[in-house]
Amino acid sequence: MLQCIFLLSDSGEVMLEKQLTGHRVDRSICAWFWDQSISQGDSFKSLPVIASPTHYLFQIVRDGITFLACSQVEMPPLMAIEFLWRVADVLSDYLGGLNEDLVKDNFIIVYELLDEMIDNGFPLTTEPSILREMIAPPNLVSKMLSVVTGNASNVSDTLPSGTGSCVPWRPTDPKYSSNEVYVDLVEEMDAIVNRDAELVKCEIYGEVQMSSQLTGFPDLTLSFANPSVLEDMRFHPCVRFRPWESHQVLSFVPPDGQFKLMSYRVKKLKNTPLYVKPQITSDSGICRVSVLVGIRSDPGKTIESITLSFQLPHCVSSADLSSNHGTITILSNMTCTWTIGRIPKDKTPCLSGTLALETGLERLHVFPTFKLGFKIMGIALSGLRIEKLDLKTLPPRLYKGFRAQTRAGEFDVRL
Amino acid sequence: MFNQFGSTAETLSKASAVVNRIGTDAHLYDDPEDVNIAPLLDSKFESEKCEALKRLLALIAQGFDVSNFFPQVVKNVASHSSEVKKLVYLYLLHYAERRPNEALLSINYFQKDLGDPNPLVRAWALRTMAGIRLHVIAPLALAAVGKCARDPAVYVRKCAANALPKLHDLRLEEHAPAIDELVGILLADHSPGVVGAAAAAFTSICPNNFKLIGKSYKKLCQILPDVEEWGQILLIGTLLRYVVARHGLVRESLMLSSHGLDNNGFYEKDGLVIDLTLDKRDGDKSDSFDANLVSLVSKCYIEGPDEYLSRSNCPDTVSSAFDSKETTSISHNEDVKILLQCTSPLLWSNNSAVVLAAAGAQWIMAPLEDVKKIVKPLLFLLRSSTASKYVVLCNILVFAKAAPSLFAPHFEDFFICSSDAYQVKAHKLEMLSLIANTSSISSILREFEDYIKDPDRRFAADTVAAIGLCAKRLSTIPTTCLDGLLALVRQESFAGDLESVDGDAGVLVQAVMSIQTIIELDPLCHEKVIIQLFRSLDSIKVAAARATIIWMVGVYCSLGHIIPKMLTTVTKYLAWSFKSEASETKLQILNTSAKVLISAEVDDFQMLKRIVVYVLELGESDLSYDVRDRTRFLKKLLSCKLAETAEDSVASQENIAEHVVEHVFGRKLKPFSPLTPQNRFYLPGSLSQIVLHAAPGYEPLPKPCSFVFEEHDQLSDSDRQREATAGLHGSQESSETVDEDGSSEYDSESSNGSDFSSDVDDRTISNDANDPLIQISEVAVSTDQEELRSKRALDMWLDEQPSTSNQSSSALDRNQSSYAKISIGDIGSRVKPKSYTLLDPGSGSGLKVDYTFLSEFSTVSPLHVCVEVLFENGSTEPILEVNLEDEEAAKVSDSAEQTLVGKANVFHNNVPTLIPMEEIGCLEPRQSAKRLIQVRFHHHLLPMRLTLQYNGKKVPVKLRPDLGYLVKPFSMSVEEFLATESRLPGMFEYSRRCSFADHIEDSRMENGKDKFLSICESITLKVLSNSNLYLVSVDLPVANTLEVVTGLRLRFSSKILSSEIPLLITITVEGKCTEVLNLTVKINCEETVFGLNLLNRIANFMVEPSS
Repeated sequence: MLQCIFLLSDSGEVMLEKQLTGHRVDRSICAWFWDQSISQGDSFKSLPVIASPTHYLFQIVRDGITFLACSQVEMPPLMAIEFLWRVADVLSDYLGGLNEDLVKDNFIIVYELLDEMIDNGFPLTTEPSILREMIAPPNLVSKMLSVVTGNASNVSDTLPSGTGSCVPWRPTDPKYSSNEVYVDLVEEMDAIVNRDAELVKCEIYGEVQMSSQLTGFPDLTLSFANPSVLEDMRFHPCVRFRPWESHQVLSFVPPDGQFKLMSYRVKKLKNTPLYVKPQITSDSGICRVSVLVGIRSDPGKTIESITLSFQLPHCVSSADLSSNHGTITILSNMTCTWTIGRIPKDKTPCLSGTLALETGLERLHVFPTFKLGFKIMGIALSGLRIEKLDLKTLPPRLYKGFRAQTRAGEFDVRL
Repeated sequence: MFNQFGSTAETLSKASAVVNRIGTDAHLYDDPEDVNIAPLLDSKFESEKCEALKRLLALIAQGFDVSNFFPQVVKNVASHSSEVKKLVYLYLLHYAERRPNEALLSINYFQKDLGDPNPLVRAWALRTMAGIRLHVIAPLALAAVGKCARDPAVYVRKCAANALPKLHDLRLEEHAPAIDELVGILLADHSPGVVGAAAAAFTSICPNNFKLIGKSYKKLCQILPDVEEWGQILLIGTLLRYVVARHGLVRESLMLSSHGLDNNGFYEKDGLVIDLTLDKRDGDKSDSFDANLVSLVSKCYIEGPDEYLSRSNCPDTVSSAFDSKETTSISHNEDVKILLQCTSPLLWSNNSAVVLAAAGAQWIMAPLEDVKKIVKPLLFLLRSSTASKYVVLCNILVFAKAAPSLFAPHFEDFFICSSDAYQVKAHKLEMLSLIANTSSISSILREFEDYIKDPDRRFAADTVAAIGLCAKRLSTIPTTCLDGLLALVRQESFAGDLESVDGDAGVLVQAVMSIQTIIELDPLCHEKVIIQLFRSLDSIKVAAARATIIWMVGVYCSLGHIIPKMLTTVTKYLAWSFKSEASETKLQILNTSAKVLISAEVDDFQMLKRIVVYVLELGESDLSYDVRDRTRFLKKLLSCKLAETAEDSVASQENIAEHVVEHVFGRKLKPFSPLTPQNRFYLPGSLSQIVLHAAPGYEPLPKPCSFVFEEHDQLSDSDRQREATAGLHGSQESSETVDEDGSSEYDSESSNGSDFSSDVDDRTISNDANDPLIQISEVAVSTDQEELRSKRALDMWLDEQPSTSNQSSSALDRNQSSYAKISIGDIGSRVKPKSYTLLDPGSGSGLKVDYTFLSEFSTVSPLHVCVEVLFENGSTEPILEVNLEDEEAAKVSDSAEQTLVGKANVFHNNVPTLIPMEEIGCLEPRQSAKRLIQVRFHHHLLPMRLTLQYNGKKVPVKLRPDLGYLVKPFSMSVEEFLATESRLPGMFEYSRRCSFADHIEDSRMENGKDKFLSICESITLKVLSNSNLYLVSVDLPVANTLEVVTGLRLRFSSKILSSEIPLLITITVEGKCTEVLNLTVKINCEETVFGLNLLNRIANFMVEPSS
């Protein structure tokens, strides 16, 4: 089981250490880790499981903060990784984001949370709703209170009722004057377009996100009009397996507030809303680039915040790029981003220009991959439709809302 | 402050930054030491304490050692504020192991908190107490866990389950069975939350104690979907291991599929209808999975790769299939069926670790046709975070190696995204090259073409290697691949002309090597390719690539018709370029020229010989010593060849040197072995599989059918569990014992440490038979045990009074149907208090100082102990002015101890710790003098520092407290004793076993005397010689044989000096008169730390031989 958790800032400083068992881990392991990641570069940083000379290390990086956990014995590595993700989720939820200053400013809360979340290296309470009852998140009121009175404990005196119930994700008996349920279909389109401009792979990764503010102990059922399009899915623990197995209905007692009910995948889509046509010709040390972006199949809604980014090859010494629409920025790490926004009615956005290669190089032999970004509100491109959402015992006033949106996920266009 | 809200934007943003940090602990982290922390800790305001603790935590977070604040922090444990408590616990757990003595001071507060009506307080106390990791308090912590394991609050029970591994970690051999029992009890809990934590405890404490699982296997399976995710991960593993140990592997599963074909007869014998699947398997078996690899994988799972691989060196054992008795069939076995049923919905879990664990269980146990349902969930995991993606890929790779057909249709999922990390890309490539088949290869190759142009050249090089692997696996594509690769070689070599980027060189080398692997399959077909490569030597500049091609010249020099004709030219070219080559290439040229020479035809021999001699001459004068060494070696080896003429070469075949040369250079390539070096397989989802070595604590699956589940075990198990329950509770048992004993008639004799009453008496036999009530309740226990237990658990909490009914009876009590009562004669004269050395003559220049604790009461205060100090002059000169003084009298003593001890007895605080003795003016040689001092110890374990003065010198000495004398006799009757004892159950009762051998010598000596009496005497003597107690009573068993003393029980009572808390000691004897006896020493006392320490002390001195 885990022996210790370290939080490292993006400069390698150990911000916080939490020893979990009696076998203390010296923080010199962090120095070793940081030396290695400097000397070995990115490939080390992206290695989630590392066998160091003394410990096995599990690392995840979230918003510049490295969460490092140590163990000396066999344990499921995914458990450690998932747990660290959960810690990062809870922390960013509590602190309203995650960065070095926030962690340092609220280190007591971080300690209290960690102590509650893991006991002797094994996760204890990871359910956000219970944690919120045990340790109050910092908010403006409590902050002000602590300034004024000089004393405001954020540690609860009583055990949250959820710890003992069979639905630990739900606090017992929340009360709302207006009962509201909102369902969001949030989809991401993953696609690969190869160098012959063929659509090699196109699929949707979607999430059913819910926000529920319901009084009492509601029992919801959610059904889809076309569940057969779903290739694969994963559920929040509140979803009962039986009804899904028998007739593809989601039956559950929802947590309170925002949560992710399920995630799903729809494969083998035939079309993308946008096309990208890149062209590069290189001759005698100069490359001519032209990229066209346009609508391939109109989804019926506006496509917003279109961006196209790519990494200039290392052998490019200078770039002179311009576009007829939108703005182009080139960062020092050779990342070029073209922000298009919406496609104008009258013209097709086009990026063109020249790249000068390093001296001695005649033509380009490596080619960048373009990453497309976009967002479409009001439509789920997978075609998944929610049929109905039912509540077993209807409260007097119930507001139901449904929304959908699609954005680009891993949308790669190769050149 | 408000002035800051000025007009400019700059000050506004500054102000907002300030506002954001208001109310946070930012200032504490930035500058934790800007105020003096110590006085804050002693403050009477909770908020100040809180701030001080936060500052300490900030220092801990930043890696400073603040353990010196420990004493001050510890006393805040008594705070009522939950925040202070939480912070103190955080601090305590961080440092407790380093400051054991001070940590002990907090135990009483934990004890108090454990009885708190608020479950959160109980849980925190339990977590911290178990986490402190001190051996001294382990029995206490265990008792606390035992109590909390029956707590009405789920959360507390969960914490109890989490606490078990902490105790196990202390390696308490004597408590191991008790811990195991507790794991069993918690596993049988009805709340899923507790079961999850219990599964974790089971995995780390007793992963092979399958009896515990066997009892509630079905219930565990049913509860599995409701257990929280972290528990599910470990519970799945546990259930899987249980099923394998109980029933073995499943015959229809993939693991045994490779044996299935050999065991056809055995299917028929069983009369099972598996023909359908078998037929299907026969059809495309070669394509669907690699039988060798599958059996290797399953062997690795069962035996662990290290054992298996080391064993497999002897070939006959490899073939040994699993014994058919060690397997089971899914259609017959309910347990397997349930396991598969309850794990399959978990493939939909949101937690990737759960999905992988469930997939692992299905992979090993599911019948072949069902295994494919793990594929999609596993692939879905590839859409999660980078970190889990990598781990999942590592596991999928193993699955795909054994059964590529499972993943073959899903090849698109392994196409590479530009955002993938390098390791993920590399794994995906390996995956693609593994699962490529005739239908998918064209799309895969097209993808590969794209990858080769990727800016990441390392990845491009890997792609080229993957192409080679694909071409090797699939017989249809090599030609296409070769063409592509050759084009790549041409292009890369051209690019490399202009610029030597490291990455590009890698691609080229990899391309040449991939071509080589493809050629290797069928060299004759690819003769033209080889020739093309030879020709491209001129344009390829990368040393490693050149070396590979030159090596190929040597290997394929006698292949086909064209190559032998080219040889002279090629060799000439090589000789010509030798000077400008890298040493790596030079070595290859040397080797190749030797090989060429060996296989040269007669026509070219002279020519080649001249070239080789030339190359060898060049090599001999090379800068690199590696090259020079190689040259000399080859020259020597080839000397016979070089000397002879073409005609001779045919004639002198007999020469032994010829043979050697022939053997070294003329050998053809061996066929490629199918087993790649990377064939270590560990259980899916394990850490070992990722790091590719067995991590400490890794255990392969248990041996199939190694666990025999006996039905009648179940009964005895429940019996045992009940006993354990009773034992842990203690209260019922003891109170019941008390009742029984109380009903008999006693006329106890009383004694008091210094003078014994001398009423010698004989035995009165009391005849109380088994109480019928007990038997009735026993029936109730066995039938309705579950209900009773929970009721008892509640009883424990609702009122701490001993339970009114006798619910259980222990075996011990049933044996003892009757008792006698004795008194012991005057042994006061034989009590010899033990003496300790304060100063030995060696370090005291002849002065020897010993001290003995006296049982007399102090005249000054009840807290003082009388110590007799014996001074002896062993030197030849007189010693002057000998005196003992308190060292710390002048200094300020440790504040923590002062305050903590002081709290209990404030009014004694002004009493000096040492009542000094009368000074000895002069001590003549060989003269000795006794003096009496009275001492008040700060703490019952810590020695007292004194200064010994003599001859004008000051020597620091340590007076160690003897726990036995920190109590005073407390006279009470047996009835009072039993009443007091019954008020101190559970947590306040602890026992230890030890042996006792003093009586053996004794009873032989006084043969005429009654053996029982002499045993009693020797035990009493031993106890009273080492501690200051009051003997309440002695119970004698009236057994059938006079030899057996089992049941003899002595009771002593006392009060702790410092706190006047009564302390009861019961010694129960087992064994035979003439042999070493086993004693069980039991102490009942509210002051648990003191009691435990005294218990250890008693157990220690009972074992010591008497002086």
